Amino acid sequence: MEETGKKRFAAAGIVAAGIAYFLVCAYPLPKELVLVPLWTRSLSQAPSAPAARKAQTEAPIPFRLGESYGYFTQDGSLLFAAPQGYGVALAADAFAPYDRLSEGFAIESPEGRTLAKVSAVGYPFFASGRRFVLAPDQAGVSELGPGGSVAWTYRFSSPATSFDASPAVAAFGLVDGSIVGLDRSGQAVLDFAPGGSRIAGVYGVAVSPDGLLVAAVTGLDRQRLVVMEKRSTAYRVAYHRYLSSDYRRAIFIGFTADGRLLEFESPSGVGVYDRATRSESVIPVPTAFKLGLAARDGRLLVLLSGEGETRRLVCAELPDRRVLDVEIQAKQAFVEARGDSLFLGVDDDLVRMDLKER
Amino acid sequence: MQVPLRASLLAVVAFGLASTPELAWDWPLAPPRVAATFGTFAKGRVVTGLALASDGAPVRAADDGELSFISEEGISPSGLPSALGSFVVVEQDKGLAVLYSHLAAGSMSSFLRKPRSGDVLGSSGSSGWIEGSGIVFQVFDRLAGSWVNPLLLLPPLTVDKPPVIRSLALSSADKVYVLGAATSLPQGTYTIAADVADPAEPAWGTGSLAPYGIRLSIDGTEAARDRFDVARGTGGKLLLFGQPGVDADELRTKEGRYALAERLFTRGRTSIEVSVEDAEGNKRSSTWTFVVE
Repeated sequence: MEETGKKRFAAAGIVAAGIAYFLVCAYPLPKELVLVPLWTRSLSQAPSAPAARKAQTEAPIPFRLGESYGYFTQDGSLLFAAPQGYGVALAADAFAPYDRLSEGFAIESPEGRTLAKVSAVGYPFFASGRRFVLAPDQAGVSELGPGGSVAWTYRFSSPATSFDASPAVAAFGLVDGSIVGLDRSGQAVLDFAPGGSRIAGVYGVAVSPDGLLVAAVTGLDRQRLVVMEKRSTAYRVAYHRYLSSDYRRAIFIGFTADGRLLEFESPSGVGVYDRATRSESVIPVPTAFKLGLAARDGRLLVLLSGEGETRRLVCAELPDRRVLDVEIQAKQAFVEARGDSLFLGVDDDLVRMDLKER
Repeated sequence: MQVPLRASLLAVVAFGLASTPELAWDWPLAPPRVAATFGTFAKGRVVTGLALASDGAPVRAADDGELSFISEEGISPSGLPSALGSFVVVEQDKGLAVLYSHLAAGSMSSFLRKPRSGDVLGSSGSSGWIEGSGIVFQVFDRLAGSWVNPLLLLPPLTVDKPPVIRSLALSSADKVYVLGAATSLPQGTYTIAADVADPAEPAWGTGSLAPYGIRLSIDGTEAARDRFDVARGTGGKLLLFGQPGVDADELRTKEGRYALAERLFTRGRTSIEVSVEDAEGNKRSSTWTFVVE
C-alpha cells in the first residue's frame, strides 16, 4: 500500500512539473511575417516627363527599371516614367539624363524644375546629396556645387572601378588597388592600397553613412575584405579577412542606412559584417544584386536576389534567418524599403507591399 | 626635365623589346590606325594611352597575361557610370597592367582568365565616352604607379614623316607674340609655347596628335626636354614627363600650344630652336631669331 502511494505521488509530481514547465518556460511561436499589397501601378500609365508640381514634404522615391526611370510617392502617385536614353544620374532630389558623348547636361528636380545646367565633360552620378561628374577616361572626378559649377576636380592614379559616398566622404576604388577618400572640398582624407594579394585591385567599396568606416573588397589571390575606421584624423585598418571569393568584376557592397551593418556579395551568399561586434555572418542567398536595404527599424535586411528571369525578394534577420523568401518572375526588378513598406518594381509594374505580422 | 629612373629603365628595355620583333608585344588591332597618341589633348582629358580606330575588328591580347578586371558598359553595382565602356584589365610581366577599353558591349568573354598573346578579348567598339569606334589601349606600371606610352612596348609603326612644327609663340600676361609674324618684342618674362603635332591624321577628329618628344633650346642651351613616355596621377593631378612632372592642366596654353618653358628675355638678339620627334625616331627642327628691345 505504501509503495502504491509513493508511485501515485511521483506521477502527480511529474504531471505538475510538466504543467509548470509549459506555463513557465513556454516560448511563443514567432509570428509569421507577410506582405500585404497596398497598390499596384503600371509604368505605361505614368506621364513620360515630369509635370510641374509643388515640392512635397515627403521626398519621392526614384526608380530605375530596365530602360525606364522615374519617381513615385509612397502613396502610389507615379510622377513620371521616362526612357533612360544613354544614361541618367538619379537621386531622390534630382536627376540628370546624359548622352554617350556628354559635354554638358541639365540637372532637374522630380517636380520638373531645372536646377542647374552643367557644362562639364563626362558622366554625372549622384549619391548622398552630392553630385559628381566622372571624366571620360574614368580616372578623374569633379564635384558640382549647388549651381552646377565645378567645385573641385581630382585626378586618380588609375581608372575608378567602384564608388560610394556619405555626406562627408566619397570613396573610390581604383584599378591599381588604391582606395581614395575625398572630403567635400576635394581633399584626399584617405589614400590607401591594402595590398596583401598577388594582384592588386578594388572590386567594391562602401562608406558608412557617418563617414567613419570605409570598407572594400580588394585584390586577387587572395581576395580580402578590409574595413577601415577613422580614428582622430586618419583611417586605419580596423578589420580584415581573406575571402574565398575570386571576383574579377565590380561587386555589390554597401552599408545599411543606419550604418550598423555592412553587406557584401560573396560566393556563399550575402556576407554581413556587424560594425559593433566586428563579427561576420552569411545569409545564404545566391547572386544578390540589391543590398543595403533594411526594414522594421533595421532589424530586417531586405535583399533582391536571383538572375535571368527569376528573382527573389528575401527578408532576413541576422545572423542568417530568412523570414520571407518570395520568388518573382521578372526580367527587370527593383526594390526599395521605407520603414515597414517595400516598393517592388517588376518589369512594367510598381507595387507597394507592407510587412505585417500575423 | 628629369625622367624618373624606372621610367628611363623601362623605356630602354621597352625600346629594346620593341625593336626585337619576336620579343615585342603585338598590336591589339592590326593594322594599327592611330586615333590619338599618348599626351594628346582630347575633350576633358589627356590621353594616357593609345587610341586605335577600328570598326568592330577583334581586339587581341598584346601579350600573355591574366585577366584581373572586366567591366561591361552600364551602371556598375556601385552606381559608377562606365566612361570606359566595356573594358578589361590584363596583368602582364614586370608589374604592367594593360587596359583595353571601349570594346563593343557584350563582346568580351569573362571566361578567358589567362589570355595568351593574340587571343581575342572582344571586339572593338564605341562603348563609353569615346569619339569614334575602336579601343583605347593603356599600360599602367604598377611599380612606378604611372602610365607608360604603349608605343614604347609595341612594334614600331612604319612612319617616315617627322612631326610638324606649326608655330612658336611667346606670351606674357597680356599679349601673345607669334614668332615669324613678330620679329621683335619688348623685354620681359614670357611663356614659350610651340604648336607641334604628329603628322598622322587623327582618325576621330580629336585634334592634333601629340608628338613623342619636344626639345627647346635658347641660344644653343637646352631649356626644356619633354618626352611623352610616362604620366602619373598623384595628389589629385595628372603629371606628365616624370619627376617632378608638369601638371597636364597647365601644359597647354589657351591657344592650344605646348607650354615649354618660362624665361626672362633681356635686350638683344635671341635664337630659339624647337626640335620634335616621334616614337619611331623621325625628327624635325625649326629655329627662330628675334630681337628683344
